This record gives sequence, structure tokens and C-alpha cells, in this order.
Amino acid sequence: MLLDLLESIQSFSLMVYHAARYCVTNFRSREVLIQMDRIGVGSVPIVFLASLFAGLDMALQFEVVMAPYGAKALLGKVVATSIVRDMGPVMASLVMSARVTSGIASEVGMMQATSQIEALSVMGVDPVDQIVAPRILSGIVMMPILSVIGDFLGIFGGLVIAFLAAHIPAPLYWSGVREALTLPNMVNGAVKPLVFGFILTSVGCFYGMKAGGGAAMVGRTTTRAVVAAAVWILVANFLISKLLLNLWGNEG
Amino acid sequence: MIEFENVSLGYGDKVIVREITLEIPDGKTLVILGGSGSGKSTLLKGVLGLLHCFSGRIVVNGAVVDSLTQNELLSYRQRIGMVFQEGALFDSMTVGENVGFWLWEHTDMTDSEIEARVRLLLSFVGLIDAINLYPGELSGGMKRRVAIARAMAPQDPLVMLYDEPTTGLDPFTSKSICDLIRQVQKEFGVSSLVVTHDLQDAFRVGDLFTFVKDGTLVVTGDRDAISKSTDPFVRTFLAI
Ligand SMILES: Nc1ncnc2c1ncn2[C@@H]1O[C@H](COP(=O)(O)OP(=O)(O)O)[C@@H](O)[C@H]1O
Ligand SMILES: [Mg+2]
Repeated sequence: MLLDLLESIQSFSLMVYHAARYCVTNFRSREVLIQMDRIGVGSVPIVFLASLFAGLDMALQFEVVMAPYGAKALLGKVVATSIVRDMGPVMASLVMSARVTSGIASEVGMMQATSQIEALSVMGVDPVDQIVAPRILSGIVMMPILSVIGDFLGIFGGLVIAFLAAHIPAPLYWSGVREALTLPNMVNGAVKPLVFGFILTSVGCFYGMKAGGGAAMVGRTTTRAVVAAAVWILVANFLISKLLLNLWGNEG
Repeated sequence: MIEFENVSLGYGDKVIVREITLEIPDGKTLVILGGSGSGKSTLLKGVLGLLHCFSGRIVVNGAVVDSLTQNELLSYRQRIGMVFQEGALFDSMTVGENVGFWLWEHTDMTDSEIEARVRLLLSFVGLIDAINLYPGELSGGMKRRVAIARAMAPQDPLVMLYDEPTTGLDPFTSKSICDLIRQVQKEFGVSSLVVTHDLQDAFRVGDLFTFVKDGTLVVTGDRDAISKSTDPFVRTFLAI
């Protein structure tokens, strides 16, 4: 059991190491563009929707808590802070894990089950080079961009509630938002999606690559990959939060 | 020329193929016959260097597969024409891209040179019209043809390997695939290994035949020798 875990960690690290090396030594621009389109551009609508509703709901809930204390004026700052630091990247990544991680795991798993992966190695091409590297790279590049879009939508959703339900004037909300956009918060909001983008894609590739037992196993592999990605995203989220808090204290 | 010298192969510590000795001269096609799970694909994996021999050695054109370094193994594999069971075409690429993939990866030919060679190969297998289709849009027989064209991309393959090239095809399509394999054989004149469990197809493509049962060879020889064999396993196979 423990040995299996260690073995998995080892082969995962090796895969990532080789993928990183191929990104440098044998950059496949065409593959990367295709994956960026599929992973990134293709995910805009769901990130858009998820973040908008997360923002709407968050403003609604915070307003209920804050109104009795007369702290409604702080709503913009609170909503923007939690979105930029936490909810934005986490929401977007979790939604993405359902779309991207499952997509990658099932696609690569199917390639494994139908010998396409073996065919690649027989044709003298490392599957990590052709399949894994472009996907991880695209995840790392596209997730921060999606996250910014998501942050913006979430903050906008907050504004809608602030204006319509809490009757906070828009300029007041916006000045709160501006206060929230401190350097530590923005670094936080940029580092997280980068890491999450890596987790989303690498976990999908890893599970797909080691999928065995034919087409019937692809479904189960996919489920496992999505669960693993979601859990790792939440673990990483906590760790990054902790690390950055230690670095900057509670400022921002 | 492929030589198996006392070769045992398997996965982990499970032995699948036991002490096989075989020789396939240049220009000859050896057909490996046997039921499913008997270790036929495992034998091919040995030739490809995907599995290490537990004992014995596999020698292809003088090179001992097991003793190749990682880099030598890569360039060795690049010169093997392998047709996978079911074709194993890359789903995300068109037929043309599948056939051109090897050239794209391993030669410095220009795009137009590659396209010319791809067209040549596709006309050889009779599928020039399918160049822009995706594997998902092809019938089983067409997929095998594309897989054969893809395996022919290296101009000077050392050997050609076919894993169940006709399994799951109707008899008419099977025959046309067998004819195609013979044509490829004439074109390249290298040793070929064809795995199948269909006797009729075996006789269509093969010069030499061998029967595998539970990882060991029962009888090896030409059509005459096979027909005269008194081994009960072979007799049952011939009677089907
Ligand atoms: N990757 C693998 N790991 C472990 N056992 C395998 C693997 N591939 C095949 N086997 C086993 O090896 C035996 C022979 O398989 P194979 O060579 O594919 O048979 P054939 O091609 O003749 O149908 C089977 O019992 C199969 O279960
Ligand atoms: Mg087989």
C-alpha cells in the first residue's frame, strides 16, 4: 500500500520532470495551441457561469452577516478579497477539473486502451513528449487567464447583489474592490491558478497514462482522476494560503 | 532476418513465452498461429524491445535487441514497421497526418515532400481519397490499410510486424488485406512476422508457419510440413 503510493509518486515526478524537459528541448507549438484552445478557450463559458453565480451568492451571504453590524460598506472589499484570494481560482479550477481533468484522463486512457500510446513509443516518440507536455503547459498558461476572467465575473456578480439587494451605491462597492486589489492578494490570485492548472492537467495525464485493462476501465480511471485532482486542488489551496500568509502576515 | 534464440518473455515475474527458437530469413513471411492469450502479441513486443527477455535473445539483422542502449532502441524502433491489432491509429489526427507522423518526427523532409510520400503510400494501400478523414470515420478494413501505410513510412524498414491484421474483418476484406501484406512484402523484401488465428489468411500471406500453444511452439515449417504434422493441437487447428 505504502509502496504503491511511493511508486506512484515516483512515476508521477518522473513524468512531470520529463514533460518539463520536453517543453524546453522539443517544444510542440501546434499541439500546445490545440490544447490551449481546448483546455482554455473551450472552458470560458463554464468558468464564466460558475464564477458569476459564486459571486452573486457570496455577496448575498456576506450581506446577511454584515448588515446587522452596519458594515455593508465593506461588502465590496470582502467579496473581492475572498474572490481574488480563494474562491475565484478554487471555483474555476474545480469546475475545470470536471471538464478538463476528466477530458484528459478519458482521452489519454482511451489512447492507452487502444494501443495508441504504445504505437507512439514504437514509432520512436515518447508519449510524454507528444501527449503529456503540451497538456500540462497549456493548463499552466490558460488557468491564470481563466481565473482572471472568473474573478472579474465574480466581483461583478457581487456588484449586482450589492446594488440590487443591499442598496450599496456602485462607487462605494468599487472603492472597496480597489482596496482589495493589494499586491499580496494579486500574487495569491496569480500563483494559485498556476498551480491548479498544473494539477488539473498533470493528474489527468497521469491517470490516463497508467490506465490499464482496456476500454472498460477508462470510465473508472476518469472518475478517480477527477476526484484526485479536486482533492489536490483543495490541499494545494490551503498550503499556498498558509505559505503566503506566513510570507506577508495578514496585510491586505 | 529475425532470430529468436531460446527466448522467454513475460510481464513482471509471469512467464508467458517459453524458450522459443525461431529463424525468419530475409524476404520470408512467418505466420504465428495460436488462440487468444497464447502469447502471440507478447512475442512481437519482444521484437519491438518493449519487453526484456527473461532468457535467450532476439537478434534482428545482427543486432541483439536486449543489449541496445535507450537511444539505439529508439532508432531501432523507428525502423520497424509495426501494424497494431485494430490499427491503433491516432484518433486526433487525420489519415494523412497518421501516415506522415513518422516522417514528420524523424526526417527533415519538407511539408510538401512529406505530403508527396503520404499520397504515394495512401495510393499504394488504395485509400488516397481518405487522406483528410479521421480514423473514427473509417471502416475496420480501411483502418488496417491506413495502419499498414503508416507502418510503411520508413523507406527502409528492418522488418515488418503485423498483429492480427485481419481479425474482426469480413472474409472479403480479410482477403484484400492479405493481398496487401503480400504486396508490401514484395516492395520491401524484408522479414515479416504476421500474427493471426485465421488459418486461411495465414496460408494467403505466409511462407513459413508456426503454432503457439501456451507460450511454446508446437510445430514450425512450411505449408507442407504443417499439413503433415501429426500434433493433435495442429490437427485440431487445421480441422477448423
Ligand atoms: N501488460 C500485461 N501485463 C500482464 N500480463 C499481460 C499483459 N499483456 C498480456 N498479458 C498476458 O499475457 C498472456 C498473453 O497475452 P498476448 O500475448 O496478448 O496474447 P495473444 O496476443 O496471443 O492473444 C495473456 O494471458 C495475458 O493475460
Ligand atoms: Mg494479441
